[in-house]
Amino acid sequence: MSFLHPEDKHPVPKVLRGWVLPVLLLALWWLAARFHWTNSPLLVPVDKVWDTAVEQVRSGELWIALEASLRRDLIGFAIGVSGGLAFGIAFGLSRLFERMIGPTFHTLKQISLFAWIPLLSVWFGLGDAAKVAFLSLAAFFPVVLNTFEGIRSVPGELIEAARVLKFNRRQWLFKLILPAASPSILAGIHLALIYAWLATLGAEYLLVSGKGIGNTMIDGRELFLMDLVIFGVIVVGFVGFALNWLAARLERRLLAWRGRSVAQF
Amino acid sequence: MSTQQAALELSPSTQSASPKSSHVVAAAVTPQLRFYDRWSPRWLALPFPLFLLLLWYVAARFEWVAPQVLPSPQAVSQTFIDLVASGEMFDNLKISLLRVLLGFGVGLVGGLLLGVAMGLSPVFKDYVYPLFKAFSQVPVLGWLPLLMLLVGIDEALKIILISKAALVPIALNTYKGIENVPARYVEVARVLKFSRWQLLWRVIFPAALPPIWNGVRYGFTHAWLALVVVELLASSEGLGYMIVFGRQLFQLDVVMAAVVVVGVVGYTLDQVLARIEVVLLGWRRSGF
Amino acid sequence: MSLAGTLDIQHLSKSYPVKNGDLSVLEDVTLTIEPGEFVSIVGSSGCGKSTLLRLIVGLEEDYQGQVLLDGQRIVGTSLRRGIVFQEHRLFPWLTVENNIQLGLLNADLTPGQKRQAVREHIALVGLEGFEKSYPHQLSGGMAQRVAIARALVSKPEILLLDEPFGALDALTRAYLQQELHRIWQAEGITMILVTHDVEEAIYLGDKVVVMEPRPGRIRRIVPVDLAHPRERAATAFAEVKQEVLKEFSGDSASLAEPPLRTDAVDPDQIRQWQFAI
Repeated sequence: MSFLHPEDKHPVPKVLRGWVLPVLLLALWWLAARFHWTNSPLLVPVDKVWDTAVEQVRSGELWIALEASLRRDLIGFAIGVSGGLAFGIAFGLSRLFERMIGPTFHTLKQISLFAWIPLLSVWFGLGDAAKVAFLSLAAFFPVVLNTFEGIRSVPGELIEAARVLKFNRRQWLFKLILPAASPSILAGIHLALIYAWLATLGAEYLLVSGKGIGNTMIDGRELFLMDLVIFGVIVVGFVGFALNWLAARLERRLLAWRGRSVAQF
Repeated sequence: MSTQQAALELSPSTQSASPKSSHVVAAAVTPQLRFYDRWSPRWLALPFPLFLLLLWYVAARFEWVAPQVLPSPQAVSQTFIDLVASGEMFDNLKISLLRVLLGFGVGLVGGLLLGVAMGLSPVFKDYVYPLFKAFSQVPVLGWLPLLMLLVGIDEALKIILISKAALVPIALNTYKGIENVPARYVEVARVLKFSRWQLLWRVIFPAALPPIWNGVRYGFTHAWLALVVVELLASSEGLGYMIVFGRQLFQLDVVMAAVVVVGVVGYTLDQVLARIEVVLLGWRRSGF
Repeated sequence: MSLAGTLDIQHLSKSYPVKNGDLSVLEDVTLTIEPGEFVSIVGSSGCGKSTLLRLIVGLEEDYQGQVLLDGQRIVGTSLRRGIVFQEHRLFPWLTVENNIQLGLLNADLTPGQKRQAVREHIALVGLEGFEKSYPHQLSGGMAQRVAIARALVSKPEILLLDEPFGALDALTRAYLQQELHRIWQAEGITMILVTHDVEEAIYLGDKVVVMEPRPGRIRRIVPVDLAHPRERAATAFAEVKQEVLKEFSGDSASLAEPPLRTDAVDPDQIRQWQFAI
């Protein structure tokens, strides 16, 4: 969009601009705490959050909570993704399967994710089993959809090339269909990662038992410990960012064959 | 279809690919015509759900599990009818709908304004985008306890959370949509001496509309998600509340009835957005 | 008819700043184009012919030397200088007639006059019946014709064409070359064509400007004194072609495309944000 603003005449240099707002907000916060602009116990000074953070790390609390959350997250994610891949491939390869199971699947998919929790909590109890089941569900849907989409979008030209080369069943799947569908499949897995993390938090709020980063925040809320809650938010943000970054990295690696140009075979 | 377009169109609510390509793939994988190809696909969809229904009925009838855990289909449908008749269903539905529409509306306007500002003004974007990006790393639910502390648990909490859920994808998609308007079209506008206003209205916005609308649909999905969660956690009316209440009293028939409504309403609203998309973006076929 | 105008390019030079200094894309280009002339510019990739065109139309600035239209220095873009790109660049959300009408957006005409002009130009490029079609419904050749109509509808003094038929198949190309010739004769507008295709250059041009790369310079100007309509198979045509081809160094590789694509969108840029919640 630089053609709309050919000359950047703004006084503040480009690299510094992104810092202005955060620094300003922090300064405001610090001032508010220092000069007691309000008497609410919610206004914790900035250094209190830092102290809490240090405490959480040192006492090991953070790692316990994080480990519990991430363990559940990854197990549920793994189950959901494997199930999703299997389903998605079945949908993509078998018209019969798609026509028989598809409509039911699409209907169930419409139900907003978290609405499943109460049902799951009755069927699986209130502990980890229900949470993992829920997480698997969260990861399952995007993977199925994107895998299906990927397989169905394999370009006709490549299919014909494979027919001429007389591919057998196995070769079809592993040498053509899956590689060609891999951008979509990986996009689905990336989505599943995000949804699974979102679901992890939600599950911890709704099925309040055991440990986890979400539980930490809920505890903080109940005890009016704003510093703990803020700390939790920052940790959650970091984990979200890290997961996103990892997934993007992986995608770039695995899809390097696409080159920098828009994917045309 | 370009990868750019594919990436922008992939969303959790993506339906199946065009029938043409699906037949090509399926036909290539199973070239011989099978018996079911002659049957209308619509009928094929029935056996599986009917089978599930039968299974459910039998399981409830012979109490393979306790009736609190698995109410019979008749119980659920009866409860559903009762809830509708008593007006309870509609009352709760109305409250949920109002909440989501208000929250989504706020998120939509905020997201569009923010996205447009970032897209059109590089300076504004330099100031705001890093902070925005940092905030968007925290999923909607991550903010819940914090907001609960700040605003309590009544309507404000719900509206704020729902609007945040919608605002982030809408702002991002709008910003990127504007930023990614192909320079090719802008050059045409320059050669044809469009004024800045003409450039914005006749080139930038139409060209950015597909990704923006994608963001809108995505935003709505998230708004609906946030609505359900916040009603499950912190509400005394609405569909989510019905679910939680039913669950606490082990009235799973109520829970199921409410879940069905959540599904149907969510789907319907998304379809409304899809129809609007066809009207707005009907010109987009093989597209750019 | 259009107002004639003389285009005077004097000692035009342009360079881009790159990592280790400046990359000189055009060096000391001097050329005069008479009103109503058809000038073809040929050269291998990297000879700066597209850059030259973009400088003339005003999409690139920051150059040394002068470009004068009727004795006046050109500044930025103008409706007096139109351009047809290699991609048709039609706006996909508009119909054919609305796309053409864009050329008149800022023209000083009444709506009725604009409609009339659009109609005339649809007829000129031979696309009657397709007024309400959308670009995705048109073939490549038809879309390019719409692009030509859009560029001509505001009656520019000069029409620039940047490899307009490069993306089309050989038969369509041949047909469109004929059409372009017919349009040129009908409108009498000065046209400057940049092309890879030496035959196309000779078929259409009053003179062929041969450019060489690194840095971009005019190597030679070959006049084409053949009567219209020109026969590609005729001996005289072949002779001119020989003259032009002689100017390219012995190996045909210099006429070919560079091996590595360096443009194109980075898909990661899109992915990175799309999934943040």
